[in-house]
Amino acid sequence: MLLDHDRLGLPLRLSLATIGAVVVLFLLAPIVFIALLSFGSSPWLIFPPPGWTLQWYREMWADPGWLEAMWHSTRVALVVTALSVGLGFITALALVRGSFKGRALLRGFFITPMVLPVVVLAVALYALCLKVGLTGTFTGFVIGHLVIALPFSVITLTNALEGYDFALEEAAMICGATPWQVKWRVTLPALRLSLFAAGVFSFLVSWDEVVVSIFMATPGMETLPVRIWSALRQDLSPVIAAVSTVLIGITLLFMLIAALFKKDDDHGH
Amino acid sequence: MATDLNPSDPPFLSIRGLRKTYGQSVAIDGVSLDIREGEFMTFLGPSGSGKSTTLYITAGFQDPTEGTVQLAGKSLLNVPPNQRNIGMVFQRYTLFPHLSVAENVAFPLRVRGWDKTQTAERVKAMLKLVHLDQHGDRKPSQLSGGQQQRVAIARALAYNPPVLLMDEPLSALDKQLREEIQFELKRIHHDTGITILYVTHDQEEALRLSDRIAVFNQGRIEQVGTGAELYEHPATRFVAGFIGHSNFLPVKLEKRRGDVADIVLPDGRRLEGAPLRCDAANGSDASLMLRPDRLHLLHDAGTDTPSIPVRVTDLSYLGDTMQVHLATNWHQDIDIRLPLRPGATPDWQVGSMGHLAWVSAHSQVHAAA
Repeated sequence: MLLDHDRLGLPLRLSLATIGAVVVLFLLAPIVFIALLSFGSSPWLIFPPPGWTLQWYREMWADPGWLEAMWHSTRVALVVTALSVGLGFITALALVRGSFKGRALLRGFFITPMVLPVVVLAVALYALCLKVGLTGTFTGFVIGHLVIALPFSVITLTNALEGYDFALEEAAMICGATPWQVKWRVTLPALRLSLFAAGVFSFLVSWDEVVVSIFMATPGMETLPVRIWSALRQDLSPVIAAVSTVLIGITLLFMLIAALFKKDDDHGH
Repeated sequence: MATDLNPSDPPFLSIRGLRKTYGQSVAIDGVSLDIREGEFMTFLGPSGSGKSTTLYITAGFQDPTEGTVQLAGKSLLNVPPNQRNIGMVFQRYTLFPHLSVAENVAFPLRVRGWDKTQTAERVKAMLKLVHLDQHGDRKPSQLSGGQQQRVAIARALAYNPPVLLMDEPLSALDKQLREEIQFELKRIHHDTGITILYVTHDQEEALRLSDRIAVFNQGRIEQVGTGAELYEHPATRFVAGFIGHSNFLPVKLEKRRGDVADIVLPDGRRLEGAPLRCDAANGSDASLMLRPDRLHLLHDAGTDTPSIPVRVTDLSYLGDTMQVHLATNWHQDIDIRLPLRPGATPDWQVGSMGHLAWVSAHSQVHAAA
């Protein structure tokens, strides 16, 4: 290959390694910074921290507001995940297997929430939900997040279905499987990696969502990112660093599960 | 092999008057065929000739516009594919990627509710049949293409189906592997005695495997017969051209005389008593079929056999034979094969003049192109 790593020569390889390290540092520094601050003893977020403590985690734990926000976030994200994967799968089936007119157009339509400026979407959703009285409700949050999460599922699952050989279903059927057995024992297992990926994407999109949530939230119903946002505007407390670290931790946990799941599957190949 | 079947046996699988249309286009039209129990029947034809459509209707994945398919006297139409109890091997590898080889073979038994010990025994026997008993724990993606198709055969035979359908199962494999699995298939057919419907566009494969071959063309069956029958006595010009190589000389049919005819070659030469295989009228155009391996290249014109003067335009050494291209005096290209004997040097060069001769009984008069 023209750009073979081994043939680049030492100076070039060293500079490539340096650039790589700087990029990684640039990406990771804020996350490491916030995690370190959350364990620091200074209430003014002094860096480097003068001492170490778990005080901010205890405060977070003692504040029902934070726990409630976390609970709201989790519930919303789980319901959004289920709906997004379910609806996304049905949509992808229609887009890939259907033979109706305007299929390509419809496909583009399902991806628009990804392309549209989120704030425009948020304003539109807010106006609509206000009209029907859904702002500050669980349903309102689910609808808002679903609009943003669904394109991820649709894209992941249409790609998966396009790479899936439907002759497998014919083979299963001629083997004696009923249509339900075919779907349950062949189609879904064969697509399980992509379904899982769509689920992880959807969960994370909802879990991290700020813009739509800020419009949708009321003091009685807010998600974790919204509470971080509003807490930040009142005062800069290390508790926020602790909450953020928890948020990052759960996100990383999901990525880890996804990676392990994929590795386990690759093992068989 | 099941070649010595009694023709008076009642048909096991009976296809009657099948017709399938998609809007304006006709995929098959009036396909009728009886297949005997234990027979290896091949559907041979070019792509789009309707052979796969007939197979897919038998499998139940498509419904015919008209006609019936009966298995052992019972109609298969209106029976969904999963209840037909038919085995099928597809052109593409259709093993379930998330299941191991053994689980793939066990799949049809699981959905049939077989118990564990029975299933395990049957899976073992089936993997042994296709010589893959050491590979049960592997995933399909760890196997070669040939091995995958053998697993597919094991899976299709696991539940003892009365009929096995095969849709060009070897077309994705390279030539050597294909021949290897063709012999495996012959052995499996012999060992199990199962009835096989096999679709292919490869005439050599069809000749090697089949008890009988049905030649498909443009949605119809042109001829059904053993390989030898099709090669020696092609019923139509299409079969004559599709099975084996053929040269067709454009001729004028002068006079029909029962099974033979008098014809006139393009250079005015008149031939008497050529075997007649078409219903063209006196005075109309026809073609004279000459097989490349039944032609002789001589230095002098034949006296008691038909012959025409030709010029050698190309010679290709093929090991066991010499392929020679010749030009007639009406500028038609003719392809013949001369057997090569070890040590003997061929006495023809490009540009040599000679005489192409044949035995009249080995030629056939077919319809014009």
